[in-house]
Amino acid sequence: MISDGREIYHDGVVKRLIQFSIIWAVVGMVVGVWLAAQLIWPGLDFGQFWLTFGRIRPLHTNGIIFGFGVSALMATAFYSVQRTSNVPLFMPRLAWICCYGWQVLVLLGGISLLAGWTSTKEYAELEWPFDIVITILWVCFAVVFFGTIATRRIRSIYVSNWFYGALIIVIAMLHIVNNLALPVSINKSYSLFPGAQDAIVQWWYGHNAVGFLLTGGFLGMLYYFLPKQSGQPIWSYRLSVISFWAFTYTYIWAGPHHLHYNSIPEWVQSLAMVMSLILLAPSWATMINGIMTVSKAWRKLSVDPALKFIVLALAFYGLATFEGPMMAIRSVNIVSHFTDWTIGHVHSGALGWNAMITYGTFYYMVPHMMGRELYSVRLANIHFWLALAGTMLYILAMWGAGVSQGLLWLSIDDIGELSYSFNDVMAAMVPYYALRLVAGLIFLAGTVLMAYNLFRTMYGRHTVAVSPPLIIDELQGTVYKEEPREPSSGNAQEVPA
Amino acid sequence: MGNLLLFVVLHTPGVVFRQIAEGNTRIIGSVQKLTFLLILLPPVFSFIGSTLFGWRLGAADPLYFDSTARVIISFFYADALILGYISTALIARWMSKTYGGGKVPTASLFAFFTVVLAPICIASAAHIFPHIFFNVLVLIPTIIWSMTLLYRGLPVVMNIPPERGMLMSSSLVGWLLVAFVSLLGLSAALWTYGIGPSIGV
Repeated sequence: MISDGREIYHDGVVKRLIQFSIIWAVVGMVVGVWLAAQLIWPGLDFGQFWLTFGRIRPLHTNGIIFGFGVSALMATAFYSVQRTSNVPLFMPRLAWICCYGWQVLVLLGGISLLAGWTSTKEYAELEWPFDIVITILWVCFAVVFFGTIATRRIRSIYVSNWFYGALIIVIAMLHIVNNLALPVSINKSYSLFPGAQDAIVQWWYGHNAVGFLLTGGFLGMLYYFLPKQSGQPIWSYRLSVISFWAFTYTYIWAGPHHLHYNSIPEWVQSLAMVMSLILLAPSWATMINGIMTVSKAWRKLSVDPALKFIVLALAFYGLATFEGPMMAIRSVNIVSHFTDWTIGHVHSGALGWNAMITYGTFYYMVPHMMGRELYSVRLANIHFWLALAGTMLYILAMWGAGVSQGLLWLSIDDIGELSYSFNDVMAAMVPYYALRLVAGLIFLAGTVLMAYNLFRTMYGRHTVAVSPPLIIDELQGTVYKEEPREPSSGNAQEVPA
Repeated sequence: MGNLLLFVVLHTPGVVFRQIAEGNTRIIGSVQKLTFLLILLPPVFSFIGSTLFGWRLGAADPLYFDSTARVIISFFYADALILGYISTALIARWMSKTYGGGKVPTASLFAFFTVVLAPICIASAAHIFPHIFFNVLVLIPTIIWSMTLLYRGLPVVMNIPPERGMLMSSSLVGWLLVAFVSLLGLSAALWTYGIGPSIGV
């Protein structure tokens, strides 16, 4: 945008995406809590086919991943790519199309899932008409993001943009290949891949969606907002770049560990296991880089809720990226597979890493963009403890349930028959599921507090107009202070990246 | 004396933390003597519980093991606890430079982690009735208690500001979570290889 002869960053679209992301977080988590309750009281579907577990479970995952997660990723990518490139967004109208188009897609996609339209592929349940729309919107996202980078005034491309770039490119590749299908009607299609090959393609997609969207994309968020919030440069920029390439190379091989002991070649399983173990190195390199960066900003911890969330997110990132490779070991997987241990693992990442880093980022971005203080630091601190308690309780409940299930399902009697029926095992899980329900409610309560806090912070205000700062030393790629275009009560100035 | 000290450790840990920080060798020595007793409690309780009641995983029939399997499980449990205790103290010493801690004697760190571990070891009496959900219910508040001791005590013992103490404690909690998950994974792998409960693999 150019006004009065000066360029201004396009933060309006960022603000709108944050608002949508928060709404989807609350909606997705309400559905998650409902699902947790259904596992205790199955009658909660009220005899309605569209409220059955099989239909609202994908609504939960799609709402969280594509509604909450992708909206947050678009918001943070648009925000940071402008500032690290020192130019406003490329084709800002396309960014707005991306923003609203994506929300309509998630809304209609969610309704289609309730109506029973499904490809049956996990995390890719949406049917072919939606897949085409996703592709178009994703290309728009790519045009805006890479267009901004192409028009940048800073020669070097900051590491967060490498992660966001990988997110856009790899997800495009995965989405297109995994959804190659033959449509037979408006709401039904069949995969082009047969049998076990379809399973391998699906988990190549599924695992790398976790890898490049829920891990890589959010690492982009971490690498931009952690230095900003802590006021410290990344501890080792070189390590961040090395871990990016190691991460990108290694992750793509690990998908078949979701298919251990299934009808795929054993060498494929072993390869996936080995690559999963190697993946620990770049994951932990990033974690150490983050912890060492934040360790220099310890003075801010007592007064800054955003930084607390980011620190906690790093701890859970370390846990989840250790637990994943460990569960990919075949002799561990034989016990853990198909149990709630996996659900606990997923949520240590989803709640502990993805949600926490996003919350920390939103607590940073919203006051900066609105040019005013956060409505209530106290509410944010309460949110922090609710999020920690909810996540820990969730994980512990699922560890208990998962280990019990693994042992019970594999128990055999003296004549070699299974000791327990599936019904016996599931009936024994009710106490754990009750704990999980409580954990979900605690986490949801924290998210609702955040929604209230941030909407009150945004209420009645437009984003502060910020112009790209003057580049003093372009060769070194150094960005200096951003000057607010108009005086404001808040702090729109930022520390060097 | 040992019982009295255990009471002091549980009731007024702040006093013990200060004594450790001041390098009171008598207290440090006494706390260290408690370590052996405390760390043996969970495997002993586990052995007794699995003998008397079997593992109760929630389904109708409990899982019973022969005496050899019970001894092996308790032995591995004790090993894991000792390894976890020693490694945590050594990792804390290794981390101290990053978080601005001075040179705290290793003996003081061992004494500190004994205090932190004490509630969990005492609460492991729940293993006498090895129903997993019952144990989860008992151990969750106990773990919170131990974590509180860690967050409160570490800045005192390391002589660092509370904010840095919080960061270092969080790093140690991260390590402990990873260690616990490793223990779960190791257990599952051992079961697969025939050590522990008999499973159909």
